[in-house]
Amino acid sequence: MFHRLLIANRGEVAVRIARACRALDVTPIGVVSEADAGAAWTDVMEACVTLGPSAPAESYLQMERIVAAAKQNRCGAIHPGWGFLAENAVFAALCAQHGIVFVGPSPALMARMGLKSPAKAAMRAAGLPVIPGSDGPLASTDEAVRVAEDAGFPVLLKADAGGGGRGMRLCHSSEEVREAFPLAQAEALSSFGSASVYLEKYLTGGRHIEVQVLVDGFGHAIHLGERECSVQRRHQKLMEESPSPALTPDERAELGAMAAAASSAVGYVGAGTIEFLRSPDTESERGKLYFMEMNTRLQVEHPVSEAVSGIDLAAWQLRIAAGERLTLSQDDVKLTGHAIEARINAEDPELDFRPSPGKLHAFEFDLTAAGAGNGASLRLDSHLATGETVPPYYDSLIGKLIAHAPTREAAIAALDAGLAAAKIDGVASTIPLARAVLASDAFQSGNYDTSSIPGWPPAS
Amino acid sequence: MAHVPLTPLGRDLAAELESPSGQKATAAQMALEAKLEERRLKVEAGWGEKYKERVHQKGKLTSRERLELLKDEGTRLFEVGTFVNYGEHFGKLESPGAGVVTVFAKVNGLWTIVIANDNTVASGSWWPRSPEKIERAQEIALKLKLPVVYLVDCSGLYLPEQGRSFPGRSGAGHIFKKNSQLSAAGVPQIAGVFGDCIAGGGYMPIISDRVYMTEQAYMVIAGAALIKGAKSQHLSSLGIGGPEVHVHQSGCADVRVPNDEVALLRIRDEIKLCGSSSAPFYRGGADPLAPSFPASDLAGIVPADHRMTYAAEEVLARLVDGSLFWEILPERGREMLVGVGRVNGLYMGFVINRQGIVDDPEHHGQKKPAGILYKEGIAKTAAFSRACDADGIPIVWLQDVSGFDIGVEAERLGLLGYGSSLIYTNSTNDVPMFTVLLRKASGAGYYAMAGHPYEPVVQLSTPITRQAVMEGRTLAIAAFNTKLDDDFNIASDDPEECAKIEAGMRATEARIEADMDPYKAAAQMDTDEIVPLGDLRAWCEVFAETSYQALGTRRIKNPRIWSLHDVAALSAPRG
Repeated sequence: MFHRLLIANRGEVAVRIARACRALDVTPIGVVSEADAGAAWTDVMEACVTLGPSAPAESYLQMERIVAAAKQNRCGAIHPGWGFLAENAVFAALCAQHGIVFVGPSPALMARMGLKSPAKAAMRAAGLPVIPGSDGPLASTDEAVRVAEDAGFPVLLKADAGGGGRGMRLCHSSEEVREAFPLAQAEALSSFGSASVYLEKYLTGGRHIEVQVLVDGFGHAIHLGERECSVQRRHQKLMEESPSPALTPDERAELGAMAAAASSAVGYVGAGTIEFLRSPDTESERGKLYFMEMNTRLQVEHPVSEAVSGIDLAAWQLRIAAGERLTLSQDDVKLTGHAIEARINAEDPELDFRPSPGKLHAFEFDLTAAGAGNGASLRLDSHLATGETVPPYYDSLIGKLIAHAPTREAAIAALDAGLAAAKIDGVASTIPLARAVLASDAFQSGNYDTSSIPGWPPAS
Repeated sequence: MAHVPLTPLGRDLAAELESPSGQKATAAQMALEAKLEERRLKVEAGWGEKYKERVHQKGKLTSRERLELLKDEGTRLFEVGTFVNYGEHFGKLESPGAGVVTVFAKVNGLWTIVIANDNTVASGSWWPRSPEKIERAQEIALKLKLPVVYLVDCSGLYLPEQGRSFPGRSGAGHIFKKNSQLSAAGVPQIAGVFGDCIAGGGYMPIISDRVYMTEQAYMVIAGAALIKGAKSQHLSSLGIGGPEVHVHQSGCADVRVPNDEVALLRIRDEIKLCGSSSAPFYRGGADPLAPSFPASDLAGIVPADHRMTYAAEEVLARLVDGSLFWEILPERGREMLVGVGRVNGLYMGFVINRQGIVDDPEHHGQKKPAGILYKEGIAKTAAFSRACDADGIPIVWLQDVSGFDIGVEAERLGLLGYGSSLIYTNSTNDVPMFTVLLRKASGAGYYAMAGHPYEPVVQLSTPITRQAVMEGRTLAIAAFNTKLDDDFNIASDDPEECAKIEAGMRATEARIEADMDPYKAAAQMDTDEIVPLGDLRAWCEVFAETSYQALGTRRIKNPRIWSLHDVAALSAPRG
């Protein structure tokens, strides 16, 4: 195992990784921007290197400075956390080039999974169902029309190198494809530097279901069940739960086994997530699951899987990166109870989720709020405390509250109790939204999808 | 020092390239590349549809159809010598590609050199320069130890031009000497015999380790027509030299196969037995990674106008994996940029001329134009070249050079000597070297930076390459020197004489400009291939993979023991 590891991230995830380091007797070294220098959360680090000014481009995205910091501090490995450089293949290659282990899969695999059509092709070859559409970038308008007609309308034209909804065009007919395809190509070229455009069937009202996998360097893969992440706003997840209310136990086992086998088949190593889109149920048949993308990193919502499996994902990430065998078999993974996570962002849900940075006059949680003797528990993942400041430069996540209980109903009750007991002053937070979701009929019934936020905005 | 400290190079130029001036530059280059593609397709068509049909009627495939079946699915062929004899007429005839196709082809995961007579051009006969083109491909294979596949379908010399292809040092017979040298060096050679193989065409396959013959094929020292004349016998060529004779009686071929498809399948099987590439081993755990910025940018980065400048770093950033690079001796001889990057995970050395203005080390605080060789840059390049040779790092030379510095100071500093040192180094290097003439390849700069006369494994040109001792205008001034005054004005008062001199200078300039046309150089085999700038990354991948394919045939040091580290350590400023 590494003696010292540099955490190339900030805030909540940096603290989470540091905790895993301490558990394995690895010394965590931190990096900070000038805005984060001296923040209370940096106390968990053995030492911290200031990278540069507050803007991420000047600090947390400075690949060379981070590698230099790791070398100066004799770190054998770098954990990228999530966001920032976590899915940057060049950064992973740069680490390797300087003799530092990047905690994640190989640069080539990250690069492949970072592009939509190669990722789709690889996963189709590995046996996962993919959304009907083109195998890869489309060569011509005629080909686009033909593929669209095969897949069935409506279809979505997507830039291969795009993301976050950019570079997409919705088409309802062959005529629309004929018109939109050249425009999509031109737009993709000017926005992303690549004119590659592919096409897939557009599915409305689906559910976002993802499977957590762990794969070691020997090709042994297991899954930790799925997470339901359909409470979203503009593709940003707000709440996650495991298991998904939409899957039967047989479907769960089949999906998980498929995801684990596919991860191993493509040569994935470490903790990863395969995202699926589940099409809506119809009167005649149940919804189908289609591969969407693979996230080659630890994810924000990983505690939900940790809660139901009792497995420390971050610690396993480090052990696998250090070349250890994954000693857990699939049979060792016992998923118990139900877990729900609420992301708490410093945003004002009443004011169109406007970011709300500032000083925290109060930041208090009561982890006993779930009550005693009922099997329910609460976990808080946060880097903040009363008196600390939320800087305006970064992601607005200030904490995650995770409830675990024997049943879904009990988990909803425990999480709501925990949120009700939270006291946050100084910044606006998304706690009111999370509570509205938990209280909504749609969420409580388990029958919700990505098309709207259950219970929000509240009926006035 | 074990780690090779590659660091990020270059930047995203999408915005600049999208600007009106960027688009204009790209469009100018694209127009030249469209012409290149049009001309390439014309060569590829051979003598055209009529001759293709004639081949099909015989139940055979054309040479290019054979190549498609031979190569691995989903891979592309990298052709050299496409424009040999381009634009040249033999009587009324032209000989597209000199009647032979020579390519790098990936077959069952191994890079091979394939030499295929073009049976749509005069039944694959050998024109002037066909032997030289074949020998050039054999040389490439010998240097890189790549298996050679001959797809033979050759009715012998094109006799009306025999005087230009038979007797010389590189005349047709030299092909068989090269066959022998390849064999002696242990390079696998496999031949498929597909049709008429008369005289030289009959000799070409025989030295190969394995020879496959189709039912349509025959190999003869002399064809039936000649024997009929000489011996008054009635014979058919197939009867005297077909597989019935050579496979079963003479032993001049090994295996009889029914047709082209089966022959190609069997040749693919043979290559499978030649082992696997060592490139994955030499990657040393690294993965191939695309450059961070697309190679297609290059069309807009290197201006077609040779007087305009660009950043050499941006060129390299589009050639190396992840745009990660280690510049060696960055503070010295700034007109040259040398260093190491990975290409498909394999270490490659790069030398490129910087453009624009750089610091002048001889005159503190002053600047001088780059794109020229000066003392420090030459010394740096020679030290780098020799260190790469010692370490077994293949070198890619990217030329855009006007020549050596000239004048009083240049002579006093001994540039003749420094230049000779670099020439000696490059002449005696064993490591594979590849040369790309990005734009200008002028004067002794073309020589010193491993131009064609220094036998790089492959030399590529682009549609904007200009190979010359000097530019046309400069040469016109030099040629008419005695007629000019000190300000290069015509030194005569006679209007008639002035006009004559002026016309003479213009004619000289125009002829030199025409000579600098890359197609002319390619036709004369003064360069191996003309490629689009955006194709250079793909070519560099071929250079890297072929250089590292063969195991145990050349020195390849692991980075811990690189001499390059010593060079870098001695040049690092003291803390």
